[in-house]
Amino acid sequence: MRKIAVIFSGNAPHSVTFNEPKYKQYINELIYLPKLAETDLSDFDVLYIPSQLNKRMLLANKDKIIAFAEAGGIVCAFGPQPWEWLPNQKWEDRETNFWWWLEKGADSGLRLTNPQHDLFSNYLTLADATWHQHGVFWPVDGADVLVSTVDGGAVLYVDKVSTNGTWIITTLDPDYHFGSYFMPATERFLDGFFPWLANGQL
Amino acid sequence: MKDLLFIDPGHAFGVDNWHDPFMQQHFHFIDMYELEHTDLTPFKAIIVHDFVDQIHLKAHQHIIENYLNAGNIIVWSGHLTESWLPGCAPFTPKTIVQFSDYNISFVQPHPVFDGVTTDDMTLNKGVAGFFARGAHLPIPPHAESLLTLPDGFVTTYIDRHSTRGTIFVHAGRDLFAQRNQNKTTDRIHTQLLQWIYDEHAAIGGRHDA
Repeated sequence: MRKIAVIFSGNAPHSVTFNEPKYKQYINELIYLPKLAETDLSDFDVLYIPSQLNKRMLLANKDKIIAFAEAGGIVCAFGPQPWEWLPNQKWEDRETNFWWWLEKGADSGLRLTNPQHDLFSNYLTLADATWHQHGVFWPVDGADVLVSTVDGGAVLYVDKVSTNGTWIITTLDPDYHFGSYFMPATERFLDGFFPWLANGQL
Repeated sequence: MKDLLFIDPGHAFGVDNWHDPFMQQHFHFIDMYELEHTDLTPFKAIIVHDFVDQIHLKAHQHIIENYLNAGNIIVWSGHLTESWLPGCAPFTPKTIVQFSDYNISFVQPHPVFDGVTTDDMTLNKGVAGFFARGAHLPIPPHAESLLTLPDGFVTTYIDRHSTRGTIFVHAGRDLFAQRNQNKTTDRIHTQLLQWIYDEHAAIGGRHDA
């Protein structure tokens, strides 16, 4: 089982999500964001970076996070990313499609682009990753896009080419929605994602 | 010098506030980690956003208490998970069985919600649940209840007794974000702004009496 550290912002949704026992069982340590700079990450296999972190604190730790990946670590990054800190980051902000499911013949616009991947063959369905999107990424060549929009933007992808490590990057923000008691699919996502992160094939 | 302070979580969803004319016209923004380095004496009110680091506020709760006891106002919108705000109980989510469990009701008329309909608070494009999904229970003794969910879940109240200042609590997203949606809830942000100024003047009278 991989050793997972979660960056913890101290905001209300993160307090709820990462203290939920069924997820906490997979978390070896919650690293309070203001303490990240002074925390030794060498004991961990995975660094889980939730959505909505403070810009100044996040960017101040950018080099440390990239160094963790260059040492072979696994980094997960969630949610919209309006500032540059991911390797080869190409983020396209889009209007959030809150209301797609109210339309006749509703189509979330999401497509499973690699259904054979372990995450989606053994842990999650596309429905578990479907609520709304805040934008898309346009990943570097060689990245493995697992979920995309109909126009090819990446909603969840794995990048093993930009550094020596593995980046699991998604526009989705289940850490926020589960912890704010909204959007039931986000609970199903985390129910599958944490076990995969701990034990699945990356 | 602006006389209202906005504690900015510096989060991705907050980027729009950095460029919004209303927010920039009325509020002095500081990064939330600058609170303990900021002279609060020029400010009549501090607006605390739902994405704020509550561990940090808890570590500096004496600043909050001193600020309130100097006769000032805190407006808190969010779910309290750390005990940094005087009199405010931890957030309790409401058990949702049916959509009507999200229905917002008025307890009494109040200028912040003048002309705002309960339907517009309860529903966003026909979908319930955006406005509030729980409450801080129990509310402080003698607090003024403004809005509730069913079963006595007071989502929004004013507390003039826990300190010598005034605490406005809303168990939901930032009330100043209630704008530009083309419904009656668009009235909330300007009415809350006016209430802050009226209330701050009244606090002075309260203590002079």
